Amino acid sequence: MSDLLAVTDLAVAYRLGKGLVHAVDGADLALPSGAMLGLVGESGCGKTTLARALMGVLPGNARITRGQVRLSGIDLVALPRAERRQHLWRDMSFVPQTAMNALDPVYRLRDQMREVLCRRGGLARGAADARAAELFEAVGLDARRLMDYPHQFSGGMRQRAAIAMALALKPKLVIADEPVTALDVIVQRQVLDTIRGLSLELGLSAIVITHDISVVAYLCSTIAVMYAGRIVEAGPTARVMAEPAHPYTMGLMNASPDLTRAGAELVPIEGSPPSLMHPPPGCRFAARCPFVLSECRAAMPETSDVAPGHSAACLRAAESAELRRKAQEAATWRQ
Amino acid sequence: MREQALRVAYVGRRFLHMLFVLWVIATILFFMFRLMPGDPSTAYIDPNFTGEQRQLVLQQFGLDRPLHEQYVIFLRNLARGEFGLSFRQRQPVLGLMLAVLPNTLLLTMTALIAAYAFGSLFGAWLAWRRGSLFETISIPLVLATRASPEFWIGMLMLAVFAFGLGWFPAGGANVAGAEYSSEWQRILSIDYLRHLALPALSLALFLQGLPVLLMRSNMLEVMREEFVTMSRMKGLPERSIMLRHAARNALLPLVTAFAITFGQLIGGNVVIETVFSWPGLGRMLVDAVANSDYPLAQGAFLLIAAILVAMNFVADLVYGLLDPRVTHDGG
Amino acid sequence: MRLAGKLAATASQLRNPYAFAGVAIYIAFVLVAVLAGWLAPYDPNDILFTADGQLAASLPPDAAHLLGTTQLGRDVFSQLVLGARPSLIVGVTAAVAVASIGTTVGLLSGYLRGAVDRVLMRLADIVLGLPFLPAVIVMVALMGPSLQNMIFAIVVLLWPNAARVIRSQVLTLAQRQFVEAARVTGASEWRIMLVHIAPNILPLSFLYGSIAVGWAILAQASVSFLGFGGSEVVSWGTMLQDAYASQALDRGQYAWFVPPGLCIVFVVLAGFLISRGYEELLFPRLRDD
Repeated sequence: MSDLLAVTDLAVAYRLGKGLVHAVDGADLALPSGAMLGLVGESGCGKTTLARALMGVLPGNARITRGQVRLSGIDLVALPRAERRQHLWRDMSFVPQTAMNALDPVYRLRDQMREVLCRRGGLARGAADARAAELFEAVGLDARRLMDYPHQFSGGMRQRAAIAMALALKPKLVIADEPVTALDVIVQRQVLDTIRGLSLELGLSAIVITHDISVVAYLCSTIAVMYAGRIVEAGPTARVMAEPAHPYTMGLMNASPDLTRAGAELVPIEGSPPSLMHPPPGCRFAARCPFVLSECRAAMPETSDVAPGHSAACLRAAESAELRRKAQEAATWRQ
Repeated sequence: MREQALRVAYVGRRFLHMLFVLWVIATILFFMFRLMPGDPSTAYIDPNFTGEQRQLVLQQFGLDRPLHEQYVIFLRNLARGEFGLSFRQRQPVLGLMLAVLPNTLLLTMTALIAAYAFGSLFGAWLAWRRGSLFETISIPLVLATRASPEFWIGMLMLAVFAFGLGWFPAGGANVAGAEYSSEWQRILSIDYLRHLALPALSLALFLQGLPVLLMRSNMLEVMREEFVTMSRMKGLPERSIMLRHAARNALLPLVTAFAITFGQLIGGNVVIETVFSWPGLGRMLVDAVANSDYPLAQGAFLLIAAILVAMNFVADLVYGLLDPRVTHDGG
Repeated sequence: MRLAGKLAATASQLRNPYAFAGVAIYIAFVLVAVLAGWLAPYDPNDILFTADGQLAASLPPDAAHLLGTTQLGRDVFSQLVLGARPSLIVGVTAAVAVASIGTTVGLLSGYLRGAVDRVLMRLADIVLGLPFLPAVIVMVALMGPSLQNMIFAIVVLLWPNAARVIRSQVLTLAQRQFVEAARVTGASEWRIMLVHIAPNILPLSFLYGSIAVGWAILAQASVSFLGFGGSEVVSWGTMLQDAYASQALDRGQYAWFVPPGLCIVFVVLAGFLISRGYEELLFPRLRDD
């Protein structure tokens, strides 16, 4: 079965002053149709840049320097701009982190929905309004609120409106960048439930970008862990969370509070990610890894399969079971 | 419907505020003359008035009554547009002012519209052409126009275009002795427009700096906003994004600036009107002050202040209309 | 400690081309004003005669008179150079006063809120309801045409602008967490206001002051041009008035009326440039161009 989305060796660089920041440096992703992928990583690891690169909307000083983004087989990176624009929103759409600034404050929601549905979707006004009402109901919003302005919505409602807007043209893929981070916990759960319901109902494929593992655990069938511009581990969520194969993932699991292990110590990973302007030659995690070997610093580790569908970019992937045991102990992480 | 109620409340609040400010200004003027040494009636009565005129003004303003009664009469007269008789022209001040008001309004409106139309377009274009050589040169030039005394710009224009090249007349609003069948005829005549051209152009040149810089800086900020990026992600064409989203948001402060500048200009026109001998309200004020024509000076000052305050009110209103966030925050 | 930091920041940001240009222009003009006595070849009010006893009226620029002479035989260059003094005095004095009053009012209003804020802002609204030039003219006409009165009138009319700007900054600052933190440690409101908030708005006051110099000079020039500035003291504004009244425009005597205007432009521009230079410091943006 060919994947809906296949990202191969994608690299994005920013020009900052005199240097280049390699925000994404060789990322691989695969998303089958109908699946939800959670992209996890700490801030600055490049996940938002990756999302923007997928949508083809990068700031003026950023470029895709290599790689392919195949959506249903078509390489979007290779397409000329005008053609690429055709795919936007119709085939893949985006739910931003703070819908507060993502909606134009001077237009009513109805007009903003019309803009997408009529100008991009080719619908007549009446049909567009009907569809807008339908979308609002689907995300749990009262259709009458279409006549309101964005500032009249609460945070959670704005996020739902953003989701409704993203689904307007029935895209195959939705990319959601930290869709619930800016919300309080109760509203988070509500919005997540909405997303979950929609994904089941519509057979939605989505990439959910977040730094919060619990969101991924709740929503996504597959997970990809990103560190310093590269994907270090990927696979089915349950497997990766229960049996992480990459030391960084192991550290993440330790550092996240887990109600089932109440009373267990929270162990942070010491240190910080390397500079992306002059990245080190070998494994990017080497400086913070408790299991590092000298070979790790020499060359970038290849991604290898630990189990069917579960891969990790670590030289010691084969020993992962033993390393996991050690990783559970707090002492391992104190350097 | 709650939205309507909030809007009305907002408008009502701003209107009352406007009345309050005007009332205070009028009161200050009233007491200013009473506090000066000498007979307070010199504020309204010129020693050269005829006995008849003296009586008229005395009665109109109740100058023989106690102070608090005079104050009430003063306010009432103000509301009716009664400012007394001009010392020099021996005619009701209101009539004199209304005769020249159209000239000032026309000059102001023409200059402002030209300046803002040009300014918003040029400013938006500068934002688009960020970082270009053109931008680096334009900005100091635009700043220089804002730094220039507007009367000096007027003087340069006069020297070059009127005296030097002879393309435009050197002053006034009409050729002396011209006759017109109605006010409209006069204003729309070629002659009038020729006279209007240089003062309006000078003023516009001076004014365009603000809208250019404001529009540019607003556009740059708005283009950074999330909703502009989102519009691109939606696949909307770039030009549509620039106009419908970026410019629309960037224009808001300009509209307010327009209204406020209008109010300020009515008074600030003074120098341009003097340079071009333009028969307007500002020039009338200056002449009145120079000639110690108190009723006329007071009347002109109050009228200018009233327009200023009224335009600030209009600015608030318009901004409230354009930016839906404002009315709901309680003004 | 913080002061040292601020000084270092000021020094480093003088490297900013805008601020540097602005400061350079200011310094140049201040020098001219100070050294005017030596730079001016003649007394600006002296009526001069040519070698053969004729009135040296409306002479074109030459070696003896760099910018020519006025219609009454006065040296334009001397007037220009000495005219810098009243212009700069009015400009700087008014700007300092406006910035000081505006900062004080803005600080009190924005931080103490409540009745104090309401009263002060009402007062500001009333002053802002007065048309600027007409009000200056009326005040100067009533009080007498001296430099002090001019400065007084300008300050009275301009402080509300400054107060509003400062107040809005104070409002934003007061909501920041370091203020909350200071309160929690038991600091009194006055202490917070003076020790924590004031230093953070001083850069804005300074920035405002540097633009206010320009406005004050423009106001003084306009009022002088209209004839209310008192003609004994030669300033750039009176020079322009003189030129206009003597039909210099008609005669095309550009050397008379262009230089004073240019001087005004440069000084006011300097203020704008400095404020642009500082703006980058005060409101730094994420660089993504």
